[in-house]
Amino acid sequence: MSAPLMAGMSAPLTVLAAPRLELTRVYHFSAAHRLVSPRLDAEANARLYGHCARPHGHNYYLEVTVAGCPDPLTGMSVDLGRLDAIVAGAVIDRVDHYALEEVPALAGVVTTGESLARAFWGLIRNAGPEVALVQVTVVETAKNRFEYRGGE
Amino acid sequence: MSARGYSTRRFSFAAGHRYWVDAWPAARNEETFGRLTVPHGHNYTLDVTVHGPIDPETGMVIDLAELKRVVGETVVERFDHADLNADPVFRGRVPTTENIAVAVWDLLAPKLGVERLWQVRVWEDPTLYVDYRG
Repeated sequence: MSAPLMAGMSAPLTVLAAPRLELTRVYHFSAAHRLVSPRLDAEANARLYGHCARPHGHNYYLEVTVAGCPDPLTGMSVDLGRLDAIVAGAVIDRVDHYALEEVPALAGVVTTGESLARAFWGLIRNAGPEVALVQVTVVETAKNRFEYRGGE
Repeated sequence: MSARGYSTRRFSFAAGHRYWVDAWPAARNEETFGRLTVPHGHNYTLDVTVHGPIDPETGMVIDLAELKRVVGETVVERFDHADLNADPVFRGRVPTTENIAVAVWDLLAPKLGVERLWQVRVWEDPTLYVDYRG
């Protein structure tokens, strides 16, 4: 496999490792939710979250980005079948056509996009610790996307 | 010093490919790649991002017409309605989305310069894309 061409540079003296790249897979689920903080009373929740405190739902997209280097022979950096199975088992099957507040794996999570992204990161990490996760993105609507890249 | 900007232009090409390692017997290819060994095709989407200072005079990072011309001549004309497995750039390399992203980078870097080219994003379909930054 050739190393990337560098304009103005001579060929590298040693063969570089396979190029590192990032692969993103887009998944979809539909779910109901409402924004309610257990730390606030009903009136305060309604004031804080407005319309979002009422039960409603979204067609969500979940984008999972992983890092990898393409195998010199197969050209594949990630076992997509394995990634799909991990994300399906860890997240999609648990949330698709459910109310997010009733999903045991999301107990204690206020289901904002930010918190869902962080929670999904943890679920995927637990199900597939070998996956080189780079970013988990929750797309709540065409206007709102939430990205989580790990850490606290 | 002028502010830095990132400009992305989107392209598309329709191409055929299959997953196949010549060095392997057919059975191993089929076992590894399954239905991907059958010649098929995709409407690929390509997002090319360049970066650099925003020119104080023109207000541009790059003349998008130049970007369109370079990517069009270098990549789109080459890959659109082409059999990727037959392209010399994929000799000995399976034209996976990963390898297509690397190939596009390798084709564009000498034309645009590595100091300007920031990222190549290749979408195989709306559910899968690969980012490569050299």
